Amino acid sequence: MTNTFERLRAILVRDYKIAPEALTLEAPLEGLGIDSLGVAELLFNVEDEFRITLPPEPVQLPTVGDVVDYIDRLIVAQNADAASTDAAAESASRLG
Amino acid sequence: MRRVAVSGIGIVSPLGCTTAEVWERARAGQSAIRRLDAPFASRLVAPLAATAVFDGAIHFEPPKLRMLDRVSQFALVCAGRALADSRGALEGLDRSRAGVFVGTGMAGTLTSDEGYRVLYGEASDRIKPYTVLMGMHNAPAGWIGIEHGLRGPNLTYSTACSSSAVAIGEAWRRVAGGELELALAGGSEAPLSFGSLKAWEALHTLATIDADAPETSCKPFARNRSGMVLGEGAAMLVLEPWDRALARGVRPAGEVVGYGLTTDAVHITRPSVDGQAAAMRAALQSAGLDAARVDAINAHGTGTQANDPVETAAIRQVFGARAGSIPVSATKAVHGHLLGAAGALECVLSLFAMQHAVALPTMHLALADPQCDLDYVPNAAREDVAARTMLSNSFAFGGTNAVLALSAAA
Repeated sequence: MTNTFERLRAILVRDYKIAPEALTLEAPLEGLGIDSLGVAELLFNVEDEFRITLPPEPVQLPTVGDVVDYIDRLIVAQNADAASTDAAAESASRLG
Repeated sequence: MRRVAVSGIGIVSPLGCTTAEVWERARAGQSAIRRLDAPFASRLVAPLAATAVFDGAIHFEPPKLRMLDRVSQFALVCAGRALADSRGALEGLDRSRAGVFVGTGMAGTLTSDEGYRVLYGEASDRIKPYTVLMGMHNAPAGWIGIEHGLRGPNLTYSTACSSSAVAIGEAWRRVAGGELELALAGGSEAPLSFGSLKAWEALHTLATIDADAPETSCKPFARNRSGMVLGEGAAMLVLEPWDRALARGVRPAGEVVGYGLTTDAVHITRPSVDGQAAAMRAALQSAGLDAARVDAINAHGTGTQANDPVETAAIRQVFGARAGSIPVSATKAVHGHLLGAAGALECVLSLFAMQHAVALPTMHLALADPQCDLDYVPNAAREDVAARTMLSNSFAFGGTNAVLALSAAA
């Protein structure tokens, strides 16, 4: 969680020149000048930084903390998917 | 009809981004046309452009900057400067009686180009979520309205190279007629995308590079003219009732006194002598001016094979025997063709010319063309030209001819 927050904060400081001290978990993104479309754009960078794939469904992520939670949920889900795929591949190879 | 003052001006242009700088370079005939320094320049037949020295990051916070195509950045900066120059035109104003009128030919072509690069070039689906909002033609006008709370008509005109002359003319009508108390009017263009430059190249209207001096590649009215050079920038004007500006203690830059609008209805690119002449006559008629009162003309003067002799013939048709003694300036030789912003920039240059009693030069005119036989003020500004009334011509692909009649501040 802390790690995700730090990495997200680094993106926001780098690409949006937002002062690091303004970036708390409770901070509303709209108040930082990033509206819902801005969040959608931000998530492209999140995909690259966290090596995750975002689902196509739109999401409402009003605060920095909401984005952090969203990323963490996707990381857990996609690691689990990868693990089960690996496991399936492994058992398939044993069968071979 | 009320008198309409130009009480504020903001410019971002290849000639500079302050009115003083723009004026001095136009008067000195210092061309801003250069070999284009861009990653794709090697894929252009004649990589030339007139770029503006402009960094949006200086003017906008990063989150907002990401929502603004360069064309909207130009427009917003110019609108802010024009209002500042007007020294309080918004004070005490009912903002539902204030409108925004912006001309643009290609609007967010840089955004479109970038979107296509991602989609086709990278085969990625990550198109920017702001693409529609950045690329739409009315984005510059929309942003100006939001920034300054102007709640009257917010209109965008896209009539190619006459767009911003149309915008100023349409704004003038509404302020003169009493419908509006203030209009921000002008044009903005940021056309220097790879796709746009290739498309213009394919149309065979762009100048070839003058190998000896690339900055002289655009040669309006010269026998060796080879076409136009694309430029970027914007110019915005504050238009308001003359008395209102004066009551604030503002000395207007000049006055819009008339506007003529006609359509060739002949050919999508080929200009028409009759259509252009009719637009000049219409401008005179709307201003209640006799042709004899016109002291100077800012020509459309693109430097293309097609435009220059046709415009020459149109001026002859309107002014008859007097045509040869009217100074006709083609400033695109130095600032390039700003397409949808050209009319606004040239309107401003015309007002400055009258203020300073100078006829601006048509640069790079060494070889005369027998078909272009007017007084183009070749190669050097002429001082002590006490022009009181000027026409500024803007003619366009599609056939929309717009002419502004302008007067010096009196």
